[in-house]
Amino acid sequence: MSASLGAPLYVGWQLTNECNLACLHCIEESGPGKALAGELSREEALDVLRRLDEAQVPFLSFSGGEPLLHPGFWDIVASACGRGMHVKVETNGHLLKAEDCARLGSLGVKAVQLSLDGASAGTYERLRMRGRFETVLEAARLLRAAGVPLELNFSPTRFNVHEAGLAIDKAVELGAIGFYTGRTIMAGNAARSRALLEPTEEQYASFFAQVRAKAAEYQGRLRVCCHEMGFLEELKVRVENPAALFILLPDGKVKLINALPFLCGDLRRQGVAEVWKSFLEGWRSPEVRGFIAELERDPSLVGRLHERVECSLS
Amino acid sequence: MKLARFVKFREEKFGGVLFETRSEKVFTLTSTGAAVVKEIAAGGSAEQVVARLKARYQDPSGKLETEAREFIDSLRSQGLLSED
Repeated sequence: MSASLGAPLYVGWQLTNECNLACLHCIEESGPGKALAGELSREEALDVLRRLDEAQVPFLSFSGGEPLLHPGFWDIVASACGRGMHVKVETNGHLLKAEDCARLGSLGVKAVQLSLDGASAGTYERLRMRGRFETVLEAARLLRAAGVPLELNFSPTRFNVHEAGLAIDKAVELGAIGFYTGRTIMAGNAARSRALLEPTEEQYASFFAQVRAKAAEYQGRLRVCCHEMGFLEELKVRVENPAALFILLPDGKVKLINALPFLCGDLRRQGVAEVWKSFLEGWRSPEVRGFIAELERDPSLVGRLHERVECSLS
Repeated sequence: MKLARFVKFREEKFGGVLFETRSEKVFTLTSTGAAVVKEIAAGGSAEQVVARLKARYQDPSGKLETEAREFIDSLRSQGLLSED
């Protein structure tokens, strides 16, 4: 379907690679002092936003790193919402004060997604280094008090999978509308901590069983989105049917998908339509298809997923 | 009647798409479906939407009216419309 569209329907925009936390599994290798060279300024980001709006991109998610650390975060969100674009903010929640939550509510963001990988401080804080479990819970409560739709994200690891069910209970208790999870991609920081992080297949089986049971228990109250497919299986589906979604990196470069190293354009220099055309060509390119096939033969290539490789396009 | 809070519409060469941004579901529309959704987005009741479509397009057999009503019902049943 994407090939017949004139522009993406969804842009996942990583505003900055800077982060106040240093999570063991971060595919982007974000953390304190990890802003990329040449990240888009507030003015440049607002210009990109204007062009995405002109291309009628209906939905944006702002993530990072920690998106609130971008100096233009509030102006960018306000501009996107003011243009009638639907906006989701994906944050670790640690910088959200009551007045920020009220502001997000009044701007009309469609959802704020907080990362909550566990149902206890012990598991959460082991994964999200420098993070505090209680701070995330407080952010969730402040968002709900401000009327902001809340979603939670859970990255399974060897040491938190047993708490998946309790985490979903917690999501309901906090008034979340959505709970997102799936297999953790062992790239970026996770590649270095693989032995510590990667759940066994037995653990994954138990994890998915917990999630399915809770999804049934809370049907109609909480939307549970769980991608049981491994990322390689997902890539094989995506290469035939690319989603109408591209990833906009902090410096304006555009990636086909988070779980591949390939770049297909630069919104600092190119128009949205041109990058969209390159995106569609990129998915069809022998280089990308070859990489996915090679990944199946050599799983160690997963360590290269967060790299940046320009697609060779016709 | 209007598009629901989490629904965005965009015209495309083949017709259009409705994007439910909360569930992230995409619905593709033919050019006829897109014409109906454009009238819904312009506002008014189902009766007014159908009346505007009939005024704009020839409908001697009444087929357009029937199909437009069925389509509106279908959008409603999928939660893509709100009544306020």
